[in-house]
Amino acid sequence: MEPGGSSGVGSVNSGTYTPEIAESLRFEEEIQSLIDPSFDASSAAGGSFTALLGLPANQAVELLHHPGPGEPPASAASSSPIAGDLWRLRLVEQHAVTDTLRLPFGCSSTFPSDAALVERAARFSVFATDDSPASSSGGGLSPELKAEPPDSHSPPTLPVPAEKPRRPSKRKECEKSKAKAVAKKSKSAEENTSAAKPAAEENTSGDKLPYVHVRARRGQATDSHSLAERARREKINARMKLLQELVPGCSKITGTALVLDEIINHVQSLQRQVEFLSMKLAAVNPRIDFSGLDHILSAECGPLAMGSGCGGGASDPATWASETAASTGGIRRMPPPQQIWHLDLVHPQQSSTVWENNGAAHPHFLLSPATSLVGYDPASSVPLNSNQLKTEL
Amino acid sequence: MISPSASSASSSSKKKMKQAESKWRTAAQERIYRRRLLEALRSTASGAGPRAVKEAADSALALTARGQSQWSRAILLGRCRPRRKLLLKAGGKVRRGRRRPRPAAPVSVAVATGKKVRDRLRVLGRLVPGCRQLSAPSLLEEAADYVAALEMQVKAMRALADAFSAASLNAAAAGEAESRVV
Repeated sequence: MEPGGSSGVGSVNSGTYTPEIAESLRFEEEIQSLIDPSFDASSAAGGSFTALLGLPANQAVELLHHPGPGEPPASAASSSPIAGDLWRLRLVEQHAVTDTLRLPFGCSSTFPSDAALVERAARFSVFATDDSPASSSGGGLSPELKAEPPDSHSPPTLPVPAEKPRRPSKRKECEKSKAKAVAKKSKSAEENTSAAKPAAEENTSGDKLPYVHVRARRGQATDSHSLAERARREKINARMKLLQELVPGCSKITGTALVLDEIINHVQSLQRQVEFLSMKLAAVNPRIDFSGLDHILSAECGPLAMGSGCGGGASDPATWASETAASTGGIRRMPPPQQIWHLDLVHPQQSSTVWENNGAAHPHFLLSPATSLVGYDPASSVPLNSNQLKTEL
Repeated sequence: MISPSASSASSSSKKKMKQAESKWRTAAQERIYRRRLLEALRSTASGAGPRAVKEAADSALALTARGQSQWSRAILLGRCRPRRKLLLKAGGKVRRGRRRPRPAAPVSVAVATGKKVRDRLRVLGRLVPGCRQLSAPSLLEEAADYVAALEMQVKAMRALADAFSAASLNAAAAGEAESRVV
């Protein structure tokens, strides 16, 4: 790198537009040459920007940061806007990218060297638009830039003065044509550049972290936003896929709206079923005292291997029996349902033994298909109680 | 082109969702729910009406969810203390302010989702209790959890209703037989 340009750059505070721009351009070109040995400086004039964009983001960033404090002014593209844009592009991108998405590139290592570079670039770009405010903002920029130490992965991004309005269209095109990786950066820069310049300048001059405000304010669906949105969309798509698997018959449907339709229908049908079943239960409930409930529960527990539900194993039936006997007068009802229940659901012979069995015996019952009971894994049955009845369906 | 963060986020969320799904499908959960359901049913006054039964069932379901999901918290808080939105917003045990309920829920994915999708998402938000103002990804997550929970609820209630009816039939028959015998 040639440190020669740095001094010249640094000295210029309210300098003329051209020298800085030229320097920045040269710098860009230099970077280009670094990246691409065969890079032709002359050709850089028109295509440096795009060429640089064409580089993989990693390289570009690295190269960008490489010159560091001694940034050699690259005789970059002839058009000054491009150079300024480039700087803004890089810095803004990095900032935008790091803010929303963690830069996948290993840029962190090169960040510390960015401060000076960024500063200069900022000054360049600032100057490009307007001399007087640029100088002040540029002056203000440098301390700000220096003050804000780049995070490990977020280099101080140059507040986009957005003084190059002439090039936004071109840059957008270039950026969009570039690879996604690079497009990220370019997009963020594009967004910033196309943003309101006065706002940006105000931000840069006033705030400690102007770029933050600039980005937020832009609101355009450009790249930093689109990147974040894309990340969000990925999340949403993943969850949609899971929902699709959950709801039967949704995997064949393509299209978010239709899938959501199906999901809504499914949820509504499930809720309706719950209501219907609750009505049914309410109708059945009065006829069965809660004493009967206990028995039902235990009965169900049995075939269904409701270990925990079976009420602490064998103890429950006993407690329930006593409870029900005490609570309700429907004692008469108790035994019959229990026995009958067991006869219905469980192998008759084992029914009586089931309840008495507090031991380790785990009779396996086959559920009668009449009862739509769930089969439990024997393995998953709660090993709480001895009286665990497992059913295998 | 998507940064690894996005992919990792999606994978982590997928893991979470997969866990949610399998969590509801386990037999243990169903057992727990059945027990709770029976307890709830027992506590409801006989002849209180199907609505009470439904509420009891939903509360039992929400209890089984252990308050880890938004809808379950909404149900529980709605029942215990009516309209305690504050508690709801507190986010329950785990998520305190982690989720920012965004009123403009669908807008977060404005570009990606069209108008139809946004409408559907809003309808879904109304269906799932307590998820009216939720961002799209969290809403979908809640919906997945809710659907799994509902399926389990339906299964359990159906089994219970069948058992009840069978038992009552048998009891009635037995009772009649007994009375007749006697």
